[in-house]
Amino acid sequence: MATTSERTGNDAALIRPQDGTRSFWTRLTANPAYQRASDLLLSSDRRRFWLLAVPALIWMFGTHLGPILTMIRISFLDSYPPSAGRVPDVTLENYLLFFQAPNYITPFVRTFVYSTCYTLLTLSLMYPIAYFLAKKLRPSRQMLFLLLLLVPFWVGEIVRTYAIMILLGNRGFLNIVLMGLGLTSRPIPFMYTGFSLGMGLVYLTSLYMLLPLYASLEKIPRNYLEAAADLGAGSWTRFRRVTLPLSKDGIASGCVLVFLISTGYYATPVLLGGPSTTVFAETIAGFFHVAGDKWPEGAAFSTIMLLASLVTVGLFLRLLGRRSGSLLG
Amino acid sequence: MMRPSQIALTTFYWAFIVYLFLPLALMVVMGFKDSNFIGFPINAWTTRWYLQVFQDTAVLHAFGYTLLISIVSTALSLVIGTWCAVFLGPARFWGRALVFAVMCLPAVIPGVISAISMRIFIRAIGLEPGTGAIILGLTIHNVPFVALMVLSRLGAMPRSQVEAARDLGADSLVAFLRVTLPFLFPSLLGASIFCMLLSFDDFVRAFFLGGYQPTLPVLIFAELRSGMSPAINAISTVVLVVTAALGLWAERATRRLKGTRS
Repeated sequence: MATTSERTGNDAALIRPQDGTRSFWTRLTANPAYQRASDLLLSSDRRRFWLLAVPALIWMFGTHLGPILTMIRISFLDSYPPSAGRVPDVTLENYLLFFQAPNYITPFVRTFVYSTCYTLLTLSLMYPIAYFLAKKLRPSRQMLFLLLLLVPFWVGEIVRTYAIMILLGNRGFLNIVLMGLGLTSRPIPFMYTGFSLGMGLVYLTSLYMLLPLYASLEKIPRNYLEAAADLGAGSWTRFRRVTLPLSKDGIASGCVLVFLISTGYYATPVLLGGPSTTVFAETIAGFFHVAGDKWPEGAAFSTIMLLASLVTVGLFLRLLGRRSGSLLG
Repeated sequence: MMRPSQIALTTFYWAFIVYLFLPLALMVVMGFKDSNFIGFPINAWTTRWYLQVFQDTAVLHAFGYTLLISIVSTALSLVIGTWCAVFLGPARFWGRALVFAVMCLPAVIPGVISAISMRIFIRAIGLEPGTGAIILGLTIHNVPFVALMVLSRLGAMPRSQVEAARDLGADSLVAFLRVTLPFLFPSLLGASIFCMLLSFDDFVRAFFLGGYQPTLPVLIFAELRSGMSPAINAISTVVLVVTAALGLWAERATRRLKGTRS
């Protein structure tokens, strides 16, 4: 400990530039006030650890965990924001409300069914593309082809949702083309259905599937496949027995990301969906928009949704035989 | 000579590219329609919708406001995210896995739940909805991405560089500022562009945490709810051009940096 602080003080002269002028860094380290602060804070590994740890831990536990814990706490109160002079009681009413009305359970079930279907759809669409990029292209062209896919994803949720509305509207491009080809005489009502919502969600989320898939496929060494071919495996067997198992990590991360992201969209279901496709995000948002004291119900419903999505993800990862912690590690 | 599977995959790739670009192209084209109604066919053309965008004070205000919020939250996310990464990278302590999970938490919570829990949280800490609340919400969401990008770059850094600086008399702060930080620069640039795009495009947090001044995505959403018009196409196209230009520039810049530095 002592040696570190001595070195810091004495050797400061060593970083003086050759030409004799004193650089900013030399003056800083020679400054007595700075040296005192440095001795106090940076002189040992333990002190440096705590200096870094305390603000980081306060931020993480305060702001990353804080909002979720506050939401859970409020979900058990009978009123919030608190009215003057009255302490809110603890209650389970907000959670029981969810099970009492079908107009809450239906959007909830729908959200999970839709998100699961859209996730599987995205997986089946993106796997061939990731495979094409990672295994069928020369490395020099991979980046260009990948970049072409990336560009539309820099554009935000609202703008891309709107673009889908122009494509699918009653007087939209798709209907004009279909009518022009004589395939239909009247516009097909694509909009405000599960179809338009699915189009939109696939449009918004496919990149989150593509990137993990591409990363995992790209890592598979070419000679694994050559070895399998030498041992007599046909192209389908090579894919099923070598490529597919080795890309399991990418499939898992991609599916989890797309599932969690697609359950969390609010504007897209509002704009692309209709009354028959109300998702749980809209139900929850309803509690925060109408005037009046509905926050505890909204908080309880959000907690239910958060728990349900995390449990679904956990079960899915268990199904693939992975520990849930390994996803982030 | 291409095998059938190769042809099928190539076709599928280009079909998907068309699926990605066609709606955006239609949106741009529809902004030139000389009519108040959205829909095909387009019989008359005009540039007035695009010219109007640059005179519409509500749009210009929203644009400036969104830019301001994005820049401030990106700057905050960079500092906090780098701090968290520098703390977690070399540290070995009991409960590190838990701390790591807490750090990543905001990145995996579904958007609407994240926004609503933030709405409750700012009420609990006595913060009004508005600029500060949006910036806080965006920063919390961005920090995990910055931290993960910086962590992966830190992992690639040779320990000898910092040790050399220490041997030459730099204390750990100076070594960090003059050796580690320049080494991290490519990942910091990449992270800042990523945060800018996430923040500029964000709807759900700005919607639930915002005050009376709308951000650009919130403004477009409000216009869409009151009816589609070519004016929205023009606004959206401007957003499209800005974000795509920023992304492409960043892509080139980070590629060049990675080529020269690492």
